[in-house]
Amino acid sequence: MCGIVGYIGERQAQPILLNSLKRLEYRGYDSCGIAVSNSGIEVYKDAVRVVELEKALSWLDGTVGIGHTRWATHGGPSRVNAHPHCDCAGNIAVAHNGIINNFQLLRQQLINEGHIFVSETDTEIIPHLIEKYYQGSLEDAVEAALGDMEGSYAITVLMAGEPKLVAARKDNPLIIGVGDRENFIASDVPAILEYTNRVIYLEDNDIVVVTPYSVKVKRDGTEVDGEAHKILWSVEQAQKGGYEHFMLKEIHEQPKVIRDTLVEYTQTAEPLVDLEMMRDIGVESMLMLACGTSYHAALIGKYIAEELVSIPVRAELAPEFNYYGQTLAKTMAIVITQSGETADTLKAIKRLKEAGCQVLAITNVVGSSASRIADQIIYTRAGPEISVAATKSFMAQLVVLYWLVMSYSKVDARRLASMLLDLRQLPNKVQQVLDNTGKISEVAKYLARYEDVFFIGRGINFPVALEGALKLKEISYIHAEGYAAGELKHGPFALLSDDTPVIAIVAQDNTYEAMLTNIKEVKARRSPVIALTEEDEAIDEIADLVITVPQVNAVFSPMVNTVALQLLAYYIAKERDCSIDTPRNLAKSVTVE
Amino acid sequence: MKQAVILAAGEGQRLRPFTVTKPKVTLSIAGKPILSYVIESLAQNGIRNIVLVVGYRKEQVFDYIGSGEQFGVSITYITQERRLGTAHALAQAKGVTENEFLVLPGDNLIEADTIAQFMAVKPNAVLVKRVDNPVRYGVVTIRNKIVQDIVEKPEEAKSNMINTGVYAFTTEIFNFVEAELDIPHVLNNMIAQGYPIKAQEASGAWLDVVYPWDILSLNEAVLHQIPANLGGTIETGVSLKGEVAVGKGTVIRSNSYVAGPVVIGNGCDIGPSVCILPATSIGDNVVISPFSNIENSVIGNDVSIGPGCSIQDSVIDKGCVIKGHFMALSDQAEVRVGDEHCLVNVGAMLGEGCSLGNSVVAQPGVIVGNYSQVQALKLISGRLPDRSLVF
Repeated sequence: MCGIVGYIGERQAQPILLNSLKRLEYRGYDSCGIAVSNSGIEVYKDAVRVVELEKALSWLDGTVGIGHTRWATHGGPSRVNAHPHCDCAGNIAVAHNGIINNFQLLRQQLINEGHIFVSETDTEIIPHLIEKYYQGSLEDAVEAALGDMEGSYAITVLMAGEPKLVAARKDNPLIIGVGDRENFIASDVPAILEYTNRVIYLEDNDIVVVTPYSVKVKRDGTEVDGEAHKILWSVEQAQKGGYEHFMLKEIHEQPKVIRDTLVEYTQTAEPLVDLEMMRDIGVESMLMLACGTSYHAALIGKYIAEELVSIPVRAELAPEFNYYGQTLAKTMAIVITQSGETADTLKAIKRLKEAGCQVLAITNVVGSSASRIADQIIYTRAGPEISVAATKSFMAQLVVLYWLVMSYSKVDARRLASMLLDLRQLPNKVQQVLDNTGKISEVAKYLARYEDVFFIGRGINFPVALEGALKLKEISYIHAEGYAAGELKHGPFALLSDDTPVIAIVAQDNTYEAMLTNIKEVKARRSPVIALTEEDEAIDEIADLVITVPQVNAVFSPMVNTVALQLLAYYIAKERDCSIDTPRNLAKSVTVE
Repeated sequence: MKQAVILAAGEGQRLRPFTVTKPKVTLSIAGKPILSYVIESLAQNGIRNIVLVVGYRKEQVFDYIGSGEQFGVSITYITQERRLGTAHALAQAKGVTENEFLVLPGDNLIEADTIAQFMAVKPNAVLVKRVDNPVRYGVVTIRNKIVQDIVEKPEEAKSNMINTGVYAFTTEIFNFVEAELDIPHVLNNMIAQGYPIKAQEASGAWLDVVYPWDILSLNEAVLHQIPANLGGTIETGVSLKGEVAVGKGTVIRSNSYVAGPVVIGNGCDIGPSVCILPATSIGDNVVISPFSNIENSVIGNDVSIGPGCSIQDSVIDKGCVIKGHFMALSDQAEVRVGDEHCLVNVGAMLGEGCSLGNSVVAQPGVIVGNYSQVQALKLISGRLPDRSLVF
């Protein structure tokens, strides 16, 4: 999604803005630009990467400025459509993230009043509205302009001759970084972490006036002190630390993520969530809601929750759930979102709350929108995830879900203790997968030449097949489909041939025999079969290639299998020379519906 | 001098099975890889620009050290694709060094004070150490503080000064390293051409890890410097003696007895009634069940130890699952490493991810390969290869 940065202080703004923009590149973008104010405002923008902009850019003198990375929605990627946008006189510059629903109407009104528009964007109405309402106070003009707008926004506004920045947000992320005689504005923390680790998180409808020496937050008509949070993770974690790609670094961090999560949650006397309260309201079912990779975590959560808690569990895609007619009261809703800013998921939380449900959010970002509107929150301890393809955050979600279900379950203490022992073994089992990548990269070389790949699994490993396919398609651009193994014969069989390799995830549980049968059916259609399994002679005989994973209790096999598939996707994408950390058309945090 | 090149590409074959999946520099000593102590000693001397030459299993180094920010240093990684020797490793750093820099092995313990003394000597110089049994090292002959020659593993030592592998060089060294594979040969060539190489004797501790049981002596040396620190939960009735460091989220249950120096990591579940004696390190996420006692041992991350086990002078690598009544008691043993036969007092050396059934008895000096499985009631001895199955 779009990214916003702003700087005001005693240093030159240009290098800081460009550097901050680079740190927002993970969000995905097609164009970028900056505006710096001195006596007037100078804007430079284009449909290029930040490094290219930096090369082309002449020196813009000034100690206050804003910057933007754009991910096109209204109007294609081009120089005129890139942000920042200006008013008629070129005195006001605005960077915006979000969508203004009534912009056509406002634009026509402004044109009738004599304003001249140059771009196709919705954003361009904002500087013109501010120009229209400006009567000496920039913040008042911004407030009046926002009053006319319907939709979502995070904006930052720069005006010539005004020694301040004005920012505001509604349904889009925006934070203030508090420095020493300088302050920062950004869509996300990594953008400014190099300069300060003190951050103020803004609420919806906040309007903020930032000078080098002060941050004034106007909330519900009164001025409040924004509470500065200290960010505990560091720029170090936001760097690659020797690895070629963030994705590989993050894959390798997973043993530590599992261990950190276990240390954080399993050894405390305090319950993970207020389960008594959940029981008191008479919860009869669970609803797990998420998008993308987090949805696959939800599907695995459904299996273990039904197994261990013995109540019905629905796992739903948040964007679809938002169009369902009704929600269920007396449902414990578990909402899973890495960024805590996923627009569809946030909308679903709001609907659930309106329906009277208790909402538990599992998110990786402290202070994110999800963490502020849910009833209860569990933070995953994955640290910042830079690669667009989610890996370690998925693992952390799984560990939290497993532990949540285990503590909520009524299985006897001995079984729980034995499961906990298995859970404690996981970091090392995952490390074993990471230490033995020879076979995985061999399979990757083999698969890299194909254009269609199927993933099949059964039971608790069906979501793993979906996740394996998602990882592969998003970073290698190979057409990949995940199927429940039993569903293949209901259609997809028609596509199988020697050009369509099938990756079969075989677990040593009650699905084993059926998977064996499925593999034989696939072989009969001449498709090459790659099996992902524990050591198993029967599989060795029928599969063309075998990736062996360490032996684990089958309940925990999704974790180990997922890591193998993440590595497989990574090596295939590398073999195909893809842009692994920033795949085309994708963004880390999806803040539009 | 503001820069150091640390050679961290080595495998450490004599340390198998512990070095099958990780490089020697990441062997865990008192809960941290050896390499981190080297970096800390440098940082204490204001050397914050560090070039790490990595190779074998370099990902493990990345995972532990990252960008170096946790140590307050900045790290530049250089990869040595083929492990041909220390001079070849150093040659990889050509072009990224300043004019003067230190070179250190990443797998030796060196005190900050020793580095401070050595930094006072101008390049070219080598740090030497007086030892009792020099023949397994490079023996250095010195006259008037100038090195005369270095002889690797001589049959008969001409002095008891050995080469620690710590050097001070200028970029001039890069004119010599490419012709040779190991640094001592490079120095001998330079001496032959009339370059003076100074020798500085290390007064403080300098410890090398060559054999698996050396992990225990390094561990003990480091443990004596770690102050007591109690994170986690200590239940009533637990006795803590001496310097005991306990990580966050760890629970030590009633009636346990812990005599320092001992370091226990994060998220462990220990006891009730467990006895931990000096000098023991326990990793993160470790479970130790009732009535077990552990002495002078190193226990890795994610290890689970069942009830009633006795473990002495042993190294249990990460992820081992040991059921009840495992006996790994120490005694004098003759252990074969490569062609060498060593006589040592040692318990058991268990590679990572091993699974032991109830009441397994380890003969002193046993070395068990990674991911081995041993059924209940077995006696294990000698050297078991990786993935052994003992039925």
